[in-house]
Amino acid sequence: MVFLTTLFNGLAYGFLLFIMAVGLSVTMGMMRFVNLAHVSLCMLGGYVMVTAMERFDIPFLATLPLAFLITGLFSIALERLVLRFFYGTDDLTQVLLSIGLVFMSISTIAYFFGPEYKPVSIPVWLTGQIDVSGLTLERYRIFLVFVGVILTLLILFGVERTRFGAMVRACVDNPRVASGSGLNMQVIFAMTFAVGGGLAGLGGALSASLLGLDPNFPFRYLVYMLIVVSVGGMGTIVGTLIAALAIGVADVCTKYYFPAAGGSIIYIFTVAVMLWRPQGLLGRKPGHA
Amino acid sequence: MKVKMLIKAAVIAISCGLLTPAPVLAQETIKVGMLISYSGISASSGIAADNVLKMFQKKYGSEPGGKKIEFIRRDTTGPNPEVARRMAQELIVREKVQVILGPDFTPNVLAIAPLVTEGKVPAIITGAATRGIVGEKSPYYLRTFFSIPQSVRPMAQWAAKNDIKKVVIVVADYGPGQDAEQTFTKTFTEAGGVITNVIKVPVRNSEFSGYMQKIKDSGAEAAFVFMPIGELSLGFLKAYADAGLKNTKLKLLSTGDVTDESTLDAAGDAALGVISVGHYSPTHTAATNQAFVKSYLAEFDKTPRLGIAQVIMWDALQVLYAGLEAQRGQKFDPDKFIASVKGKQFDSPRGPISLDKTTGDIIQNAYIRKVERIGGVLQNVEFDTIKDVPAQ
Amino acid sequence: MRETANLFFRLRVRWSAWEIIFWLAWAGVFFYPGINLALLGQVLIWGLFAMSLDLVLGYRGIPSLGHAAFFGIGAYTAGFLGKYGWTEPLSGLLAAGLVSGSVGLMTGRIVRGLYGVGLLMVTLGLNLLLYDFVDRSTKLTGGHDGLQDIVIAPVLGLFRFDMSGHTAYVYILTVTFILFFGVRALVNSAWGLSLIGARDNSRRMTMLGAPVAGDLTWAFGISAFVAGVAGALLTQTTQFASPEMLSFQRSADLLVVLVIGGTAMLYGGFFGALVYVVLRDQLAALNPIYWYFWIGLLLVLIVTFFRTGILPTASQFWIRLTAHQSKRNKLPGGTSL
Repeated sequence: MVFLTTLFNGLAYGFLLFIMAVGLSVTMGMMRFVNLAHVSLCMLGGYVMVTAMERFDIPFLATLPLAFLITGLFSIALERLVLRFFYGTDDLTQVLLSIGLVFMSISTIAYFFGPEYKPVSIPVWLTGQIDVSGLTLERYRIFLVFVGVILTLLILFGVERTRFGAMVRACVDNPRVASGSGLNMQVIFAMTFAVGGGLAGLGGALSASLLGLDPNFPFRYLVYMLIVVSVGGMGTIVGTLIAALAIGVADVCTKYYFPAAGGSIIYIFTVAVMLWRPQGLLGRKPGHA
Repeated sequence: MKVKMLIKAAVIAISCGLLTPAPVLAQETIKVGMLISYSGISASSGIAADNVLKMFQKKYGSEPGGKKIEFIRRDTTGPNPEVARRMAQELIVREKVQVILGPDFTPNVLAIAPLVTEGKVPAIITGAATRGIVGEKSPYYLRTFFSIPQSVRPMAQWAAKNDIKKVVIVVADYGPGQDAEQTFTKTFTEAGGVITNVIKVPVRNSEFSGYMQKIKDSGAEAAFVFMPIGELSLGFLKAYADAGLKNTKLKLLSTGDVTDESTLDAAGDAALGVISVGHYSPTHTAATNQAFVKSYLAEFDKTPRLGIAQVIMWDALQVLYAGLEAQRGQKFDPDKFIASVKGKQFDSPRGPISLDKTTGDIIQNAYIRKVERIGGVLQNVEFDTIKDVPAQ
Repeated sequence: MRETANLFFRLRVRWSAWEIIFWLAWAGVFFYPGINLALLGQVLIWGLFAMSLDLVLGYRGIPSLGHAAFFGIGAYTAGFLGKYGWTEPLSGLLAAGLVSGSVGLMTGRIVRGLYGVGLLMVTLGLNLLLYDFVDRSTKLTGGHDGLQDIVIAPVLGLFRFDMSGHTAYVYILTVTFILFFGVRALVNSAWGLSLIGARDNSRRMTMLGAPVAGDLTWAFGISAFVAGVAGALLTQTTQFASPEMLSFQRSADLLVVLVIGGTAMLYGGFFGALVYVVLRDQLAALNPIYWYFWIGLLLVLIVTFFRTGILPTASQFWIRLTAHQSKRNKLPGGTSL
């Protein structure tokens, strides 16, 4: 009984991590571009949601697609104006660049919104708990799982069944051949970046109520993003999903069953997976593209 | 030729020396270092301090004891002993400050102690709650903050007095949290109570559902909570409410950090009804406080919210001015400064406070409060007072 | 052939005028009135720490996101020694380096087969684990508040670590220079060359018969030794050790420092440290709450205009400027290093 509740809580947390991290996984896998500023996009989505609700009285559910859109547009702007000049440079340059952007984002948000935590008020029908076949589950977490499942299906459908998805897959698998067969890499990447960024914003908006929202958000969650993406394998959506869910469940369950270990289980898990499969669970070994 | 030039040069040099006016016995300027966080996780304390300084000097002037006073700011950037130590070194060795307001955070306090002792610089701790750091680590330390036993012991006593027999303890797993757990356990069990279990939460934690389940499992009548202000205190409150624990008979007893004004609004309704022990609430009814709150709100923005952070700095300034006043007309002497303020009583917006005669640590009241919504704003409303609690 | 090889190595090891000026400047500032020795001492420690990472990252091409672990191990070792009675600083320093170095050897062994992100995450994960352990074990390590009551005896029995920071500065500078000298000799030796070879093309190195895996393990060990000594320097001069010294924040800052300054140059770390620490100080004084913005902007600008790092860009610029004059910098065969 308790185990199932704990499992469910872990899944909700895992879906949240997935939504936030999936964009990073795809852009890292596709363009080999290390964009640590992805976590700032999550934060942006959170602040868009809070501003929309506080200042413009937009209902919570409507702020979610708004967060997706605005963050997505911002991502395109970011990509076109700054990031694309650094494609093909080495990993460390990209890390430095994106860390610089993260720093700037933290200060900018602090300047406009203040350095404290923002109050986040979700609609009443999402608060509290509800009995589901004998288990007492939190409503917000049910909502998270629901949204997570729908998004996962949409993403998988989009990648597997649409033309755009096929182009994305081609670019991830083998960029050289893809561009050789006439795909416009620039456009595809910009679009992927937009969707990935939008998802990050959406994830951030969803997480604000559960995890708290303040300008230091990137510092707290950067490591989690990196862990999810690298354990899952860069460029794979299913891999990221499995990793996110596994980490979410592992985190919640170990805190309940083995509290003495504290938060270190995640790190042990990461190290173990990386030692066993450095390319991630479903990642691909670097080929000779 | 050369000799002539030399003589000319000498004459010029000597006349320059004669013409330079002899130094007048200048009015001594007291340099005070403000060694707190202006950036990082505690950035709001820097803003709070600046506000309070302005307000204080408006009321009490800027020449305590007849001497000019100059404030030099240095940023500790948070619990960062390496940086804090270097800043303290700058203040003491290069800027030659005579008094320091700060530091904050226990690691900084510990790292700076030898400097403060060697440099003979009285330092008024404004942000560290560990016990045993004031007199023991340096004879030049004073404190206007609070200590953990000072908060926790009254809470345990109050719980025992109010028919609470079984308590589950939830603390952050680091020094202050462990200290809070030990203090509460000792006091509560001595009064006849029972601790069902202790739940330790990692300092870096975002997910609380497992811990909430453990609280439910414990079968206690009340949960005693210690979490540092920030991610943990806020996360805990939200998770507590989300898990439906507010609807049970379980009482939530916490230290003031969990219901601190700076995060109270972000917690929202989750904080309603929480019973906490604290040392200051803006709703404190004494006249001194009402005047203080009125003039603060009239002059400054609503954020950061008025809370204990501002009062701590206000009282530190009171101590500073009192010590300087006692040396009116004399050259500044750090040992005399310490001696004059130890044992002294001050009228603080939080209530009467005094500095211990031996250690220089603070003695103040503890208040049991409940979070209520007054005029649309969440406030800690005091309903019980424990007087003159020592810091140890 | 042998003469060419010897000439090659001898030319590599030759001290250029810039290097001499660099070290003399560090010695010289000690006498400058009113100089902030505490700040400069910190820059040197960071520079030494960055140099240790440079050995592994710049010369061997292995990115490590967990180097603060070695720094912290050295720091806490020196701290424990000072706390429990062994207050002699020089031997404490050596001990700290050896402990850290052994852990480095073990780490090198573990990460031998890894590459890319996997390697990064393992180093990161190990760092985070160590931090978590130290932070929570209040009884053992002082926990979050740090290790207290560390006593360090005067250096050579004569020079006490006092408030003014004079002893500390000279101590730090001397140790840094000695270690720098050692690492410089190592990097310019045949072993160093095989390390660089393994960085650029490990497969070919293996075919040439070079013990690539063994070299990597030793590189990690030596790098950890240097990082551990840097950590011990910090603890000994401040008589304090805290978990922050092992934090991921420090590992990340280190990476930033090294890459700003420039990898594979040994001096890059010192320049990066100078820029990062001094600028951070200055910017924080201006605008404490928002200095992050300026540091971020600075990083972006440096990455845009000094692609390989400040020092390599500057030195390339200088080389191009004096190219037509410096035929003598070229070795027989036309290659220059």
